[in-house]
Amino acid sequence: MPEEVKKKRITDVGPHDYHDYLSPMIKKNYGKWAYHEILDPGTMVHIAENGDKLYTVRMGSPRLVSSSFVRDICDMADKYCGGYLRFTTRNNVEFLLEDEKNVEPLKKDLDKLGYNVGGIGNIVANIVHTQGWVHCHTSASDASGVVKSVMDELYEYFVEEKLPSKVRIAFACCLNMCGSVASSDIAILGTHRKPPKINHERLVNLCEVPSTIAACPTNSIRPEMVGDKKSVRVNEETCVFCGSCYTVCPAMPIADAENDGLSIWVGGKVSNARTKPTFSKLVVPFIPNEPPRWGKAVQAVKTILEAYKKGAEPGERVIEWIERIGWSRFFKITGFEFTKYHVDDFRLAEATMNYSSHARF
Amino acid sequence: MGKKHETPLLDELKKGKWISFVKEMERAAEKSERTEDLLGQVEESYRDKITHWKHGGMAGVKGYGAGMVGRFSEFPEKYPGVKECHSIRLNQTSGFFYNSDVLRKLADIADQHAGGLFNFHGSTGDIQILGLTQADAEDLFQKSAELGFDLGGSGSDLRTPSCCVGPARCEFANYDTLQICYDLTHAFQDELHRPSFNYKFKMKFSGCANDCVAAASRSDLAFIGTWQDNIKINQNEVKNYVKKFNVQKYVLDKCPTKCMWFEGENLVIDDSNCVKCMHCINEMPRALKSGDQKGLSILIGAKAPLVTGPRMGMMLIPFYDVHEDSKNDYEWLKGLISNMWEFWDEYGVSRERIGELIARVGLVTFLEGIGLEPTIDMVKEPRSNPFIKFEDEEAGAE
Amino acid sequence: MTDETKKKLEDKIIGLVKEYAGKKRFKPIDIVKEMEKEFAAEGVSKEDIKGALKEIMDDGKLVYGYAGGSFLALPE
Ligand code: HEM
Ligand code: SF4
Ligand code: SF4
Ligand code: SF4
Ligand code: SF4
Repeated sequence: MPEEVKKKRITDVGPHDYHDYLSPMIKKNYGKWAYHEILDPGTMVHIAENGDKLYTVRMGSPRLVSSSFVRDICDMADKYCGGYLRFTTRNNVEFLLEDEKNVEPLKKDLDKLGYNVGGIGNIVANIVHTQGWVHCHTSASDASGVVKSVMDELYEYFVEEKLPSKVRIAFACCLNMCGSVASSDIAILGTHRKPPKINHERLVNLCEVPSTIAACPTNSIRPEMVGDKKSVRVNEETCVFCGSCYTVCPAMPIADAENDGLSIWVGGKVSNARTKPTFSKLVVPFIPNEPPRWGKAVQAVKTILEAYKKGAEPGERVIEWIERIGWSRFFKITGFEFTKYHVDDFRLAEATMNYSSHARF
Repeated sequence: MGKKHETPLLDELKKGKWISFVKEMERAAEKSERTEDLLGQVEESYRDKITHWKHGGMAGVKGYGAGMVGRFSEFPEKYPGVKECHSIRLNQTSGFFYNSDVLRKLADIADQHAGGLFNFHGSTGDIQILGLTQADAEDLFQKSAELGFDLGGSGSDLRTPSCCVGPARCEFANYDTLQICYDLTHAFQDELHRPSFNYKFKMKFSGCANDCVAAASRSDLAFIGTWQDNIKINQNEVKNYVKKFNVQKYVLDKCPTKCMWFEGENLVIDDSNCVKCMHCINEMPRALKSGDQKGLSILIGAKAPLVTGPRMGMMLIPFYDVHEDSKNDYEWLKGLISNMWEFWDEYGVSRERIGELIARVGLVTFLEGIGLEPTIDMVKEPRSNPFIKFEDEEAGAE
Repeated sequence: MTDETKKKLEDKIIGLVKEYAGKKRFKPIDIVKEMEKEFAAEGVSKEDIKGALKEIMDDGKLVYGYAGGSFLALPE
């Protein structure tokens, strides 16, 4: 490469300075907000110490969006809020309006374009999710399709405030959990049920045996010579189908059309508000993949949500409700079966036993 | 013009009220043959119930080991548009703030050099552009860099740090999450672009215990805003809330340490027993505000299940006066983080996250390694087993 | 670090990756640790080694690969 071309190449400039994208009202009141009020599930207003009011209109997004979507929201932002907008950590779009008069017209325009306004307050929040069949090679299920099916079914809970508290749902298409699945009120997780299939021919060139062995959480991989080739063997008795070996060794694919599917987890909580954060716990060990609509999985999520809606006190998150009524009653109310798969047998299993005489009958 | 590929299964996902990703893919496909083929391949996955992406294959921009992820189709002849279908991560802005001008330019870049498809945003925080080939990479990278958008992290590196909306639009923020995220990301550009760690390392910044970026459960190093002094009470506003809802039941009774009560009509808080959980402030934002001595807590070691099980962040530094340090561009904090990386470099093994390392060598060893003293807030309770390893000097001093 | 040492360091790094291609995947951190030992007598620091790696990468003499973790590879 000629020297002058090489010099002009831009690297290590880091992220763009956010100050360039803060609206004048935000710049003026940075760090000086007094309080906020939720006006409806699609709108809130932040009031500054000096009385300035900033209106936020929130709109759902499928996260996987086209350049046309991006231009749509730009048009809306130009028309109603000086071009300023932001995204939330849960993939929503937020328009930041300085003029209250623009709030209703913006919402009408968004509705006309088919966009969903909501997601603030005691609602089902937009689902944090992963890549699935659209972009990943380890997925046990699609991501966007399951999310779309669940959100269609729970749509009313996104646009209207009908729940005791907010419910955060997350989806990940395998145990790598690129989404926030380990601690969500309701989590849907892509689950493999068969050990990896080893391609001994390819393994020699594609994989490093020691790092493949080290990738396994259950020590199920052993080195083995196959003919004159270095390869590995998987102990199918102890393999938990996590797919970690496949991540480091492309010759050990784990996806299996007949045996892959979803599992459902509940009671995770991320924030430190009131109670400490918790991990999600297993409710349904396996539901087969049912593209395109994943009916059974959607129904399971809905069953949990409706039981929570009926049983929880105002302000209680899912885990607070379950801990109050007890896990045994949770299973009874929702009708899910408690099986041997629900009893933990991994590293910290001991911590999950009931060291007491307490039981509910 | 008919569609290039029939997609009867995906078409089912155009129905229903929630915004449809299939419609989004179709909108992108109007301008991109690659995305047309992507639709075809995804339809085939829906039919076969299995992914059709191959594992492996290299992709990246020169000089960087991060920011671009290679993806290759299993059926390159049938779907030539996704023979290569890589994604590239652009480091988002602090707080995800943009304006229409820059987003339109990014949309143009995604149309010209990729499949016209985005993730806004990835779960770590990056803007992802999908559907580029290796040949597109340099132009896409350089055009984004001209707009001031560098690539994000991937692989065994510092993953793109991210933060909550903080003081830009939230009254609860106890420190400037946006600035610290921006400053540290710039300071650690080398660690972000050139993977040199044992494994990934994530940092996230939340302005208070509500933890809107889920830092405590998703990042190796979580920064959670807090305060040391007393909650500020506006008794008149408390009285207004009492008229509106059952403050005793929904606020006081739910305080985790039961450190609030009424004396007459006045609300009293025993701040020495308050754990800064934000509950009361969330419920009565007009009446209660966090104190004046604001700062942050640092939690360490959160991660997803692989390989040794999931971990939640654990307390490392209960209170850190970030406002004082911000005057020196967070020099102390940068030093602390570098010390942790040194220790992890030295004692960690391949694919071991820092939380797993601490679990393996013990918290005290780690603290000694990075130059911190153990304090009571780092544990839930003192040990209950008697297997104490007394050190020689102490026993010998008898 | 003298220019001569730097050249030696770069050759050594590229040589190692070539020699072990298909047998062992060196993570950048392995190389840094290895070279720290190898060049201890010449007063080469960790920063020097990282700098040399960066130049090698910028010149495209080696590239980064990824398989569950990042490693150094020969360009395809
Ligand atoms: C193999 C193909 C993989 C794909 C396509 C993939 C994709 C992604 C993407 C797109 C993100 C968001 C990135 C961003 O915003 O910058 C992400 C985040 C994440 N990935 Fe992956 N990933 C893969 C492998 C893995 C592996 C092997 C692990 C763990 C062992 C993993 C764990 C995670 C976690 C925990 C997050 C979320 C981090 C957070 O919340 O900040 N992923 N992944
Ligand atoms: S969760 Fe698993 S399958 Fe889904 S994108 Fe992440 S690595 Fe891929
Ligand atoms: S799938 Fe998981 S448990 Fe099974 S062999 Fe691979 S790494 Fe081990
Ligand atoms: S984490 Fe706290 S400060 Fe940050 S946006 Fe959420 S509520 Fe506000
Ligand atoms: S912040 Fe939490 S612990 Fe402190 S007084 Fe309020 S509710 Fe109680």
